[in-house]
Amino acid sequence: MGQIVGGIGVSHAPSLARAYDQDKRDDPEWRDIFESYKPAAAWLEALQPDALVMVYNDHVNQFFFDAYPTFALGVAEIFAQADEGWGKRALPDLRGDTRLGWHIARSLVADEFDPTICQEMVVDHGVYSILPFLMAPPWETPIVPLAVNVIQHPLPTARRCFDIGAAIGRSVASYDDARVVVMATGGMSHQLHGPDFGHVNPDWDNEFLDLLESDPAVLCELDHSEYMRRGGAESIEVIMWLAMRGALGSGVRNIHRAYFAPMLTGYGLVCFEPG
Amino acid sequence: MTAITMGDDPGGQMVDMTVFTGERSMAGYRLNKLSASLIDPDNRAEFLVDEHAYCRRFELTAEETKLVIDRDWTGMVAAGGNVYVFLKIAATVGSNLLEVGAEMRGETLDQFMATRPPQAGSG
Repeated sequence: MGQIVGGIGVSHAPSLARAYDQDKRDDPEWRDIFESYKPAAAWLEALQPDALVMVYNDHVNQFFFDAYPTFALGVAEIFAQADEGWGKRALPDLRGDTRLGWHIARSLVADEFDPTICQEMVVDHGVYSILPFLMAPPWETPIVPLAVNVIQHPLPTARRCFDIGAAIGRSVASYDDARVVVMATGGMSHQLHGPDFGHVNPDWDNEFLDLLESDPAVLCELDHSEYMRRGGAESIEVIMWLAMRGALGSGVRNIHRAYFAPMLTGYGLVCFEPG
Repeated sequence: MTAITMGDDPGGQMVDMTVFTGERSMAGYRLNKLSASLIDPDNRAEFLVDEHAYCRRFELTAEETKLVIDRDWTGMVAAGGNVYVFLKIAATVGSNLLEVGAEMRGETLDQFMATRPPQAGSG
């Protein structure tokens, strides 16, 4: 049977993409942030996963509001990088795992989750901004992306995100002998519009990280308004981290954790193993 | 269950926000559709050649067209624009999230940067 061998929760942000492309590793403002990803990357490499399930959100690059799916599962050989308006970055396409993808599609629907299945799907900074820090390109490990609507309300509840993660965990358990890591991205506190543009709340972000490890049921009960009041409207992305936590089962061991809030977004990182 | 503390402080900061609801998405549909089209480099080039014509192509109202021409990001939020989408206009005209954000706060970029922590990255 398949096994979830690890879970990663991590912030995505366009600023991370720029820092990577401009190679800011020795910049005093960025050095500690770059360093904080290294233990996670080493751990991930040592885990040698056969596939990554990537829970993230599209920023209106693949999907538009003519038809905006609440959950969309990508099942394709290749996922190209999205051009978000600035042109594409010098990074390769992502490989897909279609066999695992269709298996997850079947088991999610049988489990009464009903994602849109996408055989063509571009992937934006929701994945591309952070993945190079955690896994050196070109990426050999294939992915199964799950895009979540965290932009156009009504959004899925925090509980729903946790539950679909748990369903992914069951799906992997009913698969072949494969080692799977579930990664969820999403900025922690941030607000990107209006007079409170730039709002960050490190205290709340760190409390979220504590609860994610020890008591995710509390986070599942919070309304969207409670998340947004604490972390800013766009911070609602962080509910996607609950999908990762749901996939891992009841108890987790924290392997690595880091947090910075240098500018517009709480950059959080956790690596968990089941147990 | 664990008690949550942050934000439950009655003196805690309230964040001013415009939640992107379905109704707002309907109101801003044309504006967002124009903005989203700019993921295509050919469309970006066409936009830069003649912004008014590009706004006509997407059937923007006169008010919406003015928001685009004026780079009125605050006005776009009020009109149902979504920040992730109208950032593609900013990208097309050589601007960026920090400049857009400073405008929405009613600040210059330098004023905004002065509000950030000293170890600031770039967004």
